Amino acid sequence: MTLVHTESLTKRYPGVTALDGLTLELEPGIIGLVGANGAGKSTLIKILLGLLEPTSGRAELLGFDVAQQGIELRQYVGYMPEHECLPTDVSATEFVAHMAQISGLPRTAARERTAETLRLVGLFEERYREMRGYSTGMKQRVKLAQALVHDPQLMLLDEPTNGLDPAGRDEMLELVGRISREFGIAIIMASHLLGEIERVCDHLVEIEGGRLVRSAPIASLTEQTQVLAVEVDGPAEALALRLREHGLDVREDGRLLLVQVDDDGLYDTIRDTVVDLGLGLIRLEQRRQRLEDLFRAPVAVEEEEGASV
Amino acid sequence: MSERAAGNIYDLGYRNYRGVRLGRRHALFALYVHSLRGVFGIGRGISSKVFPIGLAIVILVPAAFQLGIAAIADNTIEVLRAEDYYGYVQIILALFCTAVAPELVGRDQRTQTLPLYFSRALKRDDYALAKWGALVTAMLVLTVVPQAVLFVGNGMAGNDLSGYLKDEWEQVPAILGSALLLSLMTAGIGLAIAAQTSRRAYSSVAILATFVLASAIAAILLEASDPDVGRFSLLLSPFHLVRGFTLWFFGVSPDAESQIGRADLPGAIYAMSALLIASLTIILLLRRYQRITA
Repeated sequence: MTLVHTESLTKRYPGVTALDGLTLELEPGIIGLVGANGAGKSTLIKILLGLLEPTSGRAELLGFDVAQQGIELRQYVGYMPEHECLPTDVSATEFVAHMAQISGLPRTAARERTAETLRLVGLFEERYREMRGYSTGMKQRVKLAQALVHDPQLMLLDEPTNGLDPAGRDEMLELVGRISREFGIAIIMASHLLGEIERVCDHLVEIEGGRLVRSAPIASLTEQTQVLAVEVDGPAEALALRLREHGLDVREDGRLLLVQVDDDGLYDTIRDTVVDLGLGLIRLEQRRQRLEDLFRAPVAVEEEEGASV
Repeated sequence: MSERAAGNIYDLGYRNYRGVRLGRRHALFALYVHSLRGVFGIGRGISSKVFPIGLAIVILVPAAFQLGIAAIADNTIEVLRAEDYYGYVQIILALFCTAVAPELVGRDQRTQTLPLYFSRALKRDDYALAKWGALVTAMLVLTVVPQAVLFVGNGMAGNDLSGYLKDEWEQVPAILGSALLLSLMTAGIGLAIAAQTSRRAYSSVAILATFVLASAIAAILLEASDPDVGRFSLLLSPFHLVRGFTLWFFGVSPDAESQIGRADLPGAIYAMSALLIASLTIILLLRRYQRITA
């Protein structure tokens, strides 16, 4: 089944074109949606959810037409917005159960699934308390829970790790991964952090100025490179020096040495040299290209723009 | 760490949901019930209950007073008549509307919860209608319950309840009709104003001002201007409309010295005007939710 299908989807505001003829075809999986601020990520998500009407073009999710079959479709879709969206004076239990009913679940089923879902996202005794006292981490968990409680076939997550500390980030990404791989729920996740996309997603969609820049499996973007990474416990400089004497192209990157692969004898050469120097070999691996390498140039430009404002 | 460990103990695994999905009508009804509970602060903290429950109790005081007199006194004493009841409690009804309407629709805008509703099995119109239905119901509770207590009180005052019921049963449609029209109009005004802003303070002031100022201005215009013009100003004052159509429903002629009496308009005009305001406010409410960004 096709997860997302859009045909020249366009959204114009007076003076601004947020989406510009976006045509997209995606299969179920964990899809990372990247792009700078204002690239059209949130606009795309809102059109898919029926929160915004496109100026022209059409979109289908899970085989349902977004405009014509919105009510039916949205029983099978969960949405976690980027912004705060929780009422302050009700408990997480009360709120999530209510939201499950609004998604079409009968009252009893809504109650049962609320308890299970809140437990799953890691909210325990505090789920009976008013949400006004919740930490950012707890609020993000409730936001995730209300998008998951009705067992959707697709979840749209807009910057799910927003405002979380590193530990909270790890837990959120781990949850997102589990939701997709163990529960069979497709996920579209907008993020501006490429590291996060690389960790959990299997497909990447990049948009820029409302246009599609690329849509490709992550694996194809992070192919193995012709570079070996070497890490030793001891002075890396000595090793670098000796390897260069062997005529190898060696760069130093922090504690790592990056060696250009030329022939199959390279592994032996490095191993023997390390042994000769009496060093311990910690790591010897062929490097994968990272997403950040792909985006490095545009990101740098963006930061300069940001700094000049 | 402790949280993760606990997670391992309690995590019983995720189960896919294979039950029914009840769709739009179920969602609308669930929102209606949730909103009606919210009006009276049920399922919320104590601070959310104080105002609505307090006012609901206060509005019963005149009726309970009549009931008390009926219980004590031997003779027939009818202190309060049903058609006069809203005159005593109109400011409480206005205060109730002022207190709950901004919470009912403003809260979801303030906390940005609307996108969660509109991305579910619910249309924007459904959202507005569920909220509107909840407030109309709440206003009906605040009007019909005291009237019912008063009805029983007056019946007991005659020491012949069954005889009273037999004689006065024709009051029942008048009680229900006036209560319904009052609820439709008041809820409509409250929500049409409250939905315009997420700021509670603004909408509260605006709602109360609509009731109180309209009443004061209508009274002044009736006094001061050409009577042929001034008397129609009563048709824009919710309090005067309630008084006018209530008398009409009960088939009672207004006191010639009262403002309604002096305006000397046909009673049906008050009812029609109230119905018109109720309809216009629904249209305003629906339009607001069609346009609001979520």
